[in-house]
Amino acid sequence: MQKGEMYVGWSTKDDVRKRGGSGGLVTSMLAAALEKKLVDAAVVLKKINEFEAVPIITSDINEVLNSAGSLHSVPSNFAKLIANKNLKVALPAKGCDVRGIIEQGKRNAIALDNTFIIGLNCGGSMHPVVTREMLEVMYKIKPEDVHGEEIEKGKLIFETKDGKEHAITIDELEEKGYGRRESCRYCTIKIPNNADIACGNWGVTGDLVGKATFVEINSEKGAKLLQNAIDAGYVQVQKTDEKGVAMRTKIKGVMEDLGKKWKAKLFVPIDNGRLEYFRKELENCIDCGACKAVCPTCSCGDVSKCTEYHSRGDAYKMSMYHLVRFLHLADSCIGCGQCSDVCPVDIPLTRLYRRFANPVQEQLKYEPGMDMRKPPYFEVKLND
Amino acid sequence: MTGNVYSTICPGCNFGCGLYVRENGALEVDFRKSSPANAGKLCRFWMSLPRLYAPVKSMIEGKETTLDEAANEAAKRISASKGSVAFLSSGNTTCEELLAFRNIAESYLCTGAGFESLPKDAYQTLSVGIPYSDIEASKHIVLFIDPYEQYPLIVRRLLCAKKRGAKVTSVWWKDMPLADENIRPADISKLQLTKDSLIISDFHPLLDAEQVKSMLALAKNAGARITFLKPFANSTGAYLLYKDAKQKSPAQLVDDINKGTIKTLFCLESDPSALIPSETLSKLTNLIVQTGQAAMAKANIIIAHEPLYKKKGTLINNEGRAQALGGAGTSGLDALGIIAGAKFDFNALHESVKKAIGVSVIDEFTIPKYERPSYGAIQGAAKLAEAKTALISVYNPFMWFGLVDDNDFVELNLNTVRALKLLKGGTLKIKSNGSAIEKKFKVAPVQDNILLTGRKFGIEKGILTPVEISR
Repeated sequence: MQKGEMYVGWSTKDDVRKRGGSGGLVTSMLAAALEKKLVDAAVVLKKINEFEAVPIITSDINEVLNSAGSLHSVPSNFAKLIANKNLKVALPAKGCDVRGIIEQGKRNAIALDNTFIIGLNCGGSMHPVVTREMLEVMYKIKPEDVHGEEIEKGKLIFETKDGKEHAITIDELEEKGYGRRESCRYCTIKIPNNADIACGNWGVTGDLVGKATFVEINSEKGAKLLQNAIDAGYVQVQKTDEKGVAMRTKIKGVMEDLGKKWKAKLFVPIDNGRLEYFRKELENCIDCGACKAVCPTCSCGDVSKCTEYHSRGDAYKMSMYHLVRFLHLADSCIGCGQCSDVCPVDIPLTRLYRRFANPVQEQLKYEPGMDMRKPPYFEVKLND
Repeated sequence: MTGNVYSTICPGCNFGCGLYVRENGALEVDFRKSSPANAGKLCRFWMSLPRLYAPVKSMIEGKETTLDEAANEAAKRISASKGSVAFLSSGNTTCEELLAFRNIAESYLCTGAGFESLPKDAYQTLSVGIPYSDIEASKHIVLFIDPYEQYPLIVRRLLCAKKRGAKVTSVWWKDMPLADENIRPADISKLQLTKDSLIISDFHPLLDAEQVKSMLALAKNAGARITFLKPFANSTGAYLLYKDAKQKSPAQLVDDINKGTIKTLFCLESDPSALIPSETLSKLTNLIVQTGQAAMAKANIIIAHEPLYKKKGTLINNEGRAQALGGAGTSGLDALGIIAGAKFDFNALHESVKKAIGVSVIDEFTIPKYERPSYGAIQGAAKLAEAKTALISVYNPFMWFGLVDDNDFVELNLNTVRALKLLKGGTLKIKSNGSAIEKKFKVAPVQDNILLTGRKFGIEKGILTPVEISR
């Protein structure tokens, strides 16, 4: 097996295959990596219900096997979870998780050689509290009655315990303020080719639909991970067909185009009143520090530029903390939405960071977290 | 608990914010985005949780001991002081522990709330607030709090109400960014209320009963609704469970300690130094503190058990939402059993809690239906203390828990800065009660001759302290 190869695979464990999102391949790769000592630990989401799962770091294979299943309403943040822990670890990761992990790697907070990243195709995730409200308002179903969820052909489908499916187009949901988190709408990393291996249901065809995962190997580590799972008897694979590859490419293209449209819609240039715009958006900030704590690219720790240049006793019209962060993250923001998720006064922080990051990253032709290129601001030399 | 991760509730106030505490050597706080009260969002108090939850040890007169020995010694001293023992719990612990505590504390129970000076028919209104979703749906919201400083998670609810067209009026010493109208407390007569108005105030141990009555009267006379936010993790639970118990006010407790009729004070998960002056506490023969977190007051006996996040049990938030803690610990209950001389059964207490709030299961997504009886006509005689210049203590979670925050300054307005010819980056001298301090200042849209602080400086006498200021 080598970089660039594509397969369709599934778990050989009956219960995992049935419970898993698309044949349980990812869960089985994680379990096999633990069993064969490829890693010391795996990161999984321990499911509490359809809208809540606790991210845990575990060495228990059974805990990994029991974690199978997809959860679109759990916007995880795995980069910060594993940073500075010196782990030899395997983990599933959405595109933004992968980007965060790679950025932490560049900042020496994660040893990428010891980190096996299983990328998950991602059309976007939803905030659990918003999802519960959406179910009641838009779908007219009780959240407790939901048994499963899927995104297919532009529709968000919930299956209830009575076996019925309830589908509404994502466009309609998002017009009403529901659906995916804002940052997911304009994200264009749908297939995480920055991970060691990219997995998802796009491109699975025929009888295997819903029962297998399409896999693309992106690195030697990715090949090792999949081969290990096959050798350990956890996984079976077969070569992909051309139809599947074409279908996957098409879905990716459609999703990327949708992301670009959202980006154009949300980031209308502000010609006048830029200072007032930022000042107004930030006026309710309570200095909780949560946006920095969850930022998957930030690795400064307690002593950092944004906090050192800021004091709660300042009476400036705009906080130095945010100003420094806007500049500091202009080349590094990955647009994951974690800062907006946790802001206690609902400041649309990701949108504000992207206002700075979009032009900078476009001009520098730099996409943080997509490869090992150093952030351009790191590369400035004093003599330049 | 799953692995080393606990799903728990922030102890900072009674808002009911869900979070995860992760034990990885040092404690880590993680955002629980599925929590209905806060959607995973937390105020700046979250950064202090590892400090608050620093391990605490059982002690008898300064010597380290075991929980059992400390509890046994406490039981002995309580028994020996029969007739002069008071019991204080402001509601920083589970409903199950509070029910067990009630059995022990019947002779002299204080929750830190001054119910005995307030109309009985307003008890339920003061005890349990309205759902946050009702705040979001309100047309006119009147704030008698600083939402940013005291209960920050209410801010997003207020902003949501504003997006839906609500008008927000703030009655405070400082202009609030989110308010459409700012009225100073001295100009309360300018406040226009209708039956569409919702008053949001807080109800805490340092409030004067007349102030609370005035607030209730304002709402009553206008036919407006009123809801109270509270400062301790389970204040609402404590008030609901102790509805029929005879409660002493904190003022009465201070009085009785000063008179010498109370010689032993037993505090359950409550820091007495937050409510009782240190000179009063020093008059006690025995100060016994049962706690899962470091206590500020110097106690004769400390009965130390697991912190709140490791406990098993139920909390009830401002809205009346019952929330299950994700821990499995019951050693607090075991310690109370030693003091009571009878073991408490968690399951039986848990059933009593559910019965008391009328639910068959604890489901954080469904707020139990509470009776919300209206209260009768009421008059309040709240008077603003007369002082040329006053220091206002804006009580927040850091102050209740005696934790230092990054706010070693006072807020004042530009007129005051100019009148005193204060220098940018300089300090201000503040004198009160024979003490003097020098503090940095921050210019803010504050009322003339008012200083605001969210930190204890040691010169305060209650919420409003007359002061003299100079350069």
